[in-house]
Amino acid sequence: MTTENKGLITNRRNVLFGVGAAGSALAAGLGSAIAAADTHEEQVTDAPVSDKTQERQAFYGIHQAGIITPRPAAGMIASFDVLAKTPSEVERLFRTLSERMAFLMKGGTPPTFDDKLPAPDSGILGPVVPPDNLTMTLSLGSSFFDHREWLLPHKPARLSRMKAFRNDALVADLCHGDMTLQISSNTPDTNIHALRDIIKNMPDLLVLRWKQEGSVPVQPPKPDGSHESARNFLGFRDGSANPDANQAALMDKIVWVTEKSDEPAWARGGTYQVVRIIRNFVERWDRTPLGEQERIIGRKKATGAPFAGSTEHDVPDYSKDPEGTVTPLDAHIRLANKRNGGSDANLILRRPFNYSNGVSKSGQLEQGLLFICYQADLERGFVTVQRQLDGEPLEEYIKPIGGGFFFTLPGPLDETDFVGRTLLEAAGHSVTRIKS
Amino acid sequence: MKLRLLLSASLFAFTAALAPRAALAEVSPLDLVQPIADYKIYVSENAEKLVADTKAFTDAVKAGDVDKAKALFGSTRMSYEAIEPIAELFSDLDGSIDSRADDHENSEKDPEFTGFHRIEYGLFAENSAKDLAPFADQLMADVTELNKRIKDLTLPPEKVVGGAATLMEEVAATKISGEEDRYSHTDLWDFKGNFDGSRKIFDLVRPLIEKDESAFVTKVSSNFDAVETTLAKYKTADGYELYDKLTDDDRKVLAAAVNTLAEDLSTLRGKLGLN
Repeated sequence: MTTENKGLITNRRNVLFGVGAAGSALAAGLGSAIAAADTHEEQVTDAPVSDKTQERQAFYGIHQAGIITPRPAAGMIASFDVLAKTPSEVERLFRTLSERMAFLMKGGTPPTFDDKLPAPDSGILGPVVPPDNLTMTLSLGSSFFDHREWLLPHKPARLSRMKAFRNDALVADLCHGDMTLQISSNTPDTNIHALRDIIKNMPDLLVLRWKQEGSVPVQPPKPDGSHESARNFLGFRDGSANPDANQAALMDKIVWVTEKSDEPAWARGGTYQVVRIIRNFVERWDRTPLGEQERIIGRKKATGAPFAGSTEHDVPDYSKDPEGTVTPLDAHIRLANKRNGGSDANLILRRPFNYSNGVSKSGQLEQGLLFICYQADLERGFVTVQRQLDGEPLEEYIKPIGGGFFFTLPGPLDETDFVGRTLLEAAGHSVTRIKS
Repeated sequence: MKLRLLLSASLFAFTAALAPRAALAEVSPLDLVQPIADYKIYVSENAEKLVADTKAFTDAVKAGDVDKAKALFGSTRMSYEAIEPIAELFSDLDGSIDSRADDHENSEKDPEFTGFHRIEYGLFAENSAKDLAPFADQLMADVTELNKRIKDLTLPPEKVVGGAATLMEEVAATKISGEEDRYSHTDLWDFKGNFDGSRKIFDLVRPLIEKDESAFVTKVSSNFDAVETTLAKYKTADGYELYDKLTDDDRKVLAAAVNTLAEDLSTLRGKLGLN
């Protein structure tokens, strides 16, 4: 099992090994339905077809999955209040979460109980749970440490409760939390299935506080194998300047807490997670002249290229444009990343999703960006970048209303391990590592 | 071979998690006769009390004594809340007695909005008993009718046993937010009624599963105890503090206990061999 897992880490397109097995299990289970299938009769209610349901991400590794994992089409942040107070209760929480996450990310067949009892699985993905490229990423908020005296000395150095920035209008019910799960996969249904599994298995330890789902528009594969950044609900490509997640050394510098960081040793392999629910006033945006939109963002809308470039990956050279005649000085991309030697220290890894929630009391669309980013240093990363953005012209069209700051725990190393183990050990709570 | 790999991995995950046990205790239908009979007495006593309390409450409303009516509101509802799974078997009466403004398209102004919460709205939101007399008369007639119907009712065992979980589901889904008694904030009185009613059912059938399901029985009991302890912090001389006095931490403790009880008690029917 371990060797297979290792293989999976390096190539996510090779994770299809489960297809044959799950396919035959499905066929065996359907029995009489097979006759109907032979006639190829089509119904409007037939399930949409995907060949990606057996894509699988490895749960074990020095880092949790879902951070440098390529972003799939559907994502969610669920924030919880945690009832577990004592070291043994917290151990039970971490172990149970890890067991559920390991199962859900791997997929498989839940057990069946007597019909007189509620089933252990919601069944919304059928009797065999497909992995569907699921990742579940566990992070802790400042309050998790603040409300547990025995953990307080071990709190990550820069973890704080998110404070409102200049343009924020934070809604208390959409902010903070002791713990987040970032759940992402190919489909919203897979994410919901995972969330319901967690809620059902840990009602005594977790109370759901808020959640936000989001999506990313899919694109057809390009003939030359190249990739483009997805668009946000402002219609612009988002993520063009993201650092390359395939460069391990770069990720060690930008994303991961390492032995070089002045963070507690237990936190190595972890990262700071920032979540921001940023409402976009899309009606107003759509009534803004194209040229003005482009000046506000600093990119051409159609291609995503900077004004002096032809593709989104071209890097603007601000040293040749000190007056802002090409890229306005207050353009979003210019304020966010000055692209001088010093600004590399403020790089962050963004992994956002677009969200759409319904209609406001004024009859406008409640849409925006479920902004998620990861960085080794919360202060030098997101907080610095956001301060640079404070007062930007884009603020007229966006309003951050929720989210929080969290610390994403290091990954579980192998089947004897669980997420959060290093923190418990640092706090003097010894745990047994046995292969379950 | 790959399939076996998937299966074994998934089985490990579930047995390791806190899943209910698959093996059911041997309970014969005859064993349930006495608990059901005892529960019938409990329901009847509460229904009688509801009639008496509602009489005093509606009399105060009709006399225009707003203060007295307000003082009686929380306690009058408790007997109804305790037997809600049975009262709800009569959906016409339940809607008339206990529906909330948001059950109706036009909220408080909706003519179909009647019963306890319509009177609560008048007393607490408008601080007046004016125009409430017709609602008081109808409420009195409804609870009298409910009591009569309960007398004639043969209690279905699965409804009785399932009621323990139903009460917790109600609290979990629509009460923990404080939206039930939104004008009076007497939600903790309702909680107490719901918990008492749920625990009564559990205690009545407990001897039937105590031996085979001792871990389950201990866990459920300790969660009921956690709720009692939390609620006791808010006890006053004549009832309970208002819901806005409940601290955030205690609300979380109650929410977790209620959801855990709902999860665990959802297996009670099955454990007793009921469909």
